[in-house]
Amino acid sequence: MLPTYCPSCQAQLKVKCLKCEACQTEVNGSYNLPLLALLSENDQQFIIRFMINSGSLKEMASELKLSYPTVRNMLNEIIKKIKTDEK
Amino acid sequence: MKLLKKLKQMKSKEFFKLVFNPFSRIAGLEAFGLGLFFVVLMGIIGTFSHTIFDGVLDIHIVQDSSLANSFIMLGVDILALTLIMWIAGLIISRNIRFIDILGTMTLSKAPLLLASIAAFFTKVPDTNTIMHNPMVLLSSVSFIVVMILIIPITIWSIALMYNALKVSCGVKGGKLTAAFIIGLFVAEIVSKVAIYFFVK
Repeated sequence: MLPTYCPSCQAQLKVKCLKCEACQTEVNGSYNLPLLALLSENDQQFIIRFMINSGSLKEMASELKLSYPTVRNMLNEIIKKIKTDEK
Repeated sequence: MKLLKKLKQMKSKEFFKLVFNPFSRIAGLEAFGLGLFFVVLMGIIGTFSHTIFDGVLDIHIVQDSSLANSFIMLGVDILALTLIMWIAGLIISRNIRFIDILGTMTLSKAPLLLASIAAFFTKVPDTNTIMHNPMVLLSSVSFIVVMILIIPITIWSIALMYNALKVSCGVKGGKLTAAFIIGLFVAEIVSKVAIYFFVK
């Protein structure tokens, strides 16, 4: 799992360096992490499953063996987190 | 051994969660079907054990009851509870489906089936005797035991109603608690008034 927060002060981390494994080129800078990377592993898994199920909460509910409103509430929580991170 | 203990703990936690909040697993039409099954049983068993549910929160053991009246009362209870909680849910949340409220609220009445079964083990003295000497109720040990048993059953049902609203509208905290308490209070009054008009 990609670390997104500083283990020392809990501030949000930025990407400083990216490296090409093929030619060893390094790109340095200060890049923001994508919004989805800021979510927890469980939330990211949820979004992936949600997309695989064509955005159908009903199918998600039967896959996760949870009720429809529970799955919808989980999605609402993720939306809330994304909106907070966006700000 | 530690892992086994942990697994057992997890299982009991899961069981406890399922008993007080089955709605994370079942809601909507499925919950309504299951709830309706329990309600029909309650109506039939209640008629024979002389238990009536004459209000959203009311359970009374009477001397005589009819199948028609039992079902009218239960129908009014569920309808009043569902409609009022749906309105309460709409006020605090936009994400709410009527079928979820209907299903979860119907299923939340299921524990009351135990009350109608428990009523088989007691008998209420006739009204004239009670009016003449109310203390006669306290002389019946079986009546007191059943009354005490009904308290946790009612609390269980109320806890289920709370979780039904929580899952159906996806709101937490003070807003949910306030909406639930006011909703339950209003539903109780509405059901009482409706039963007064419908049941002869």
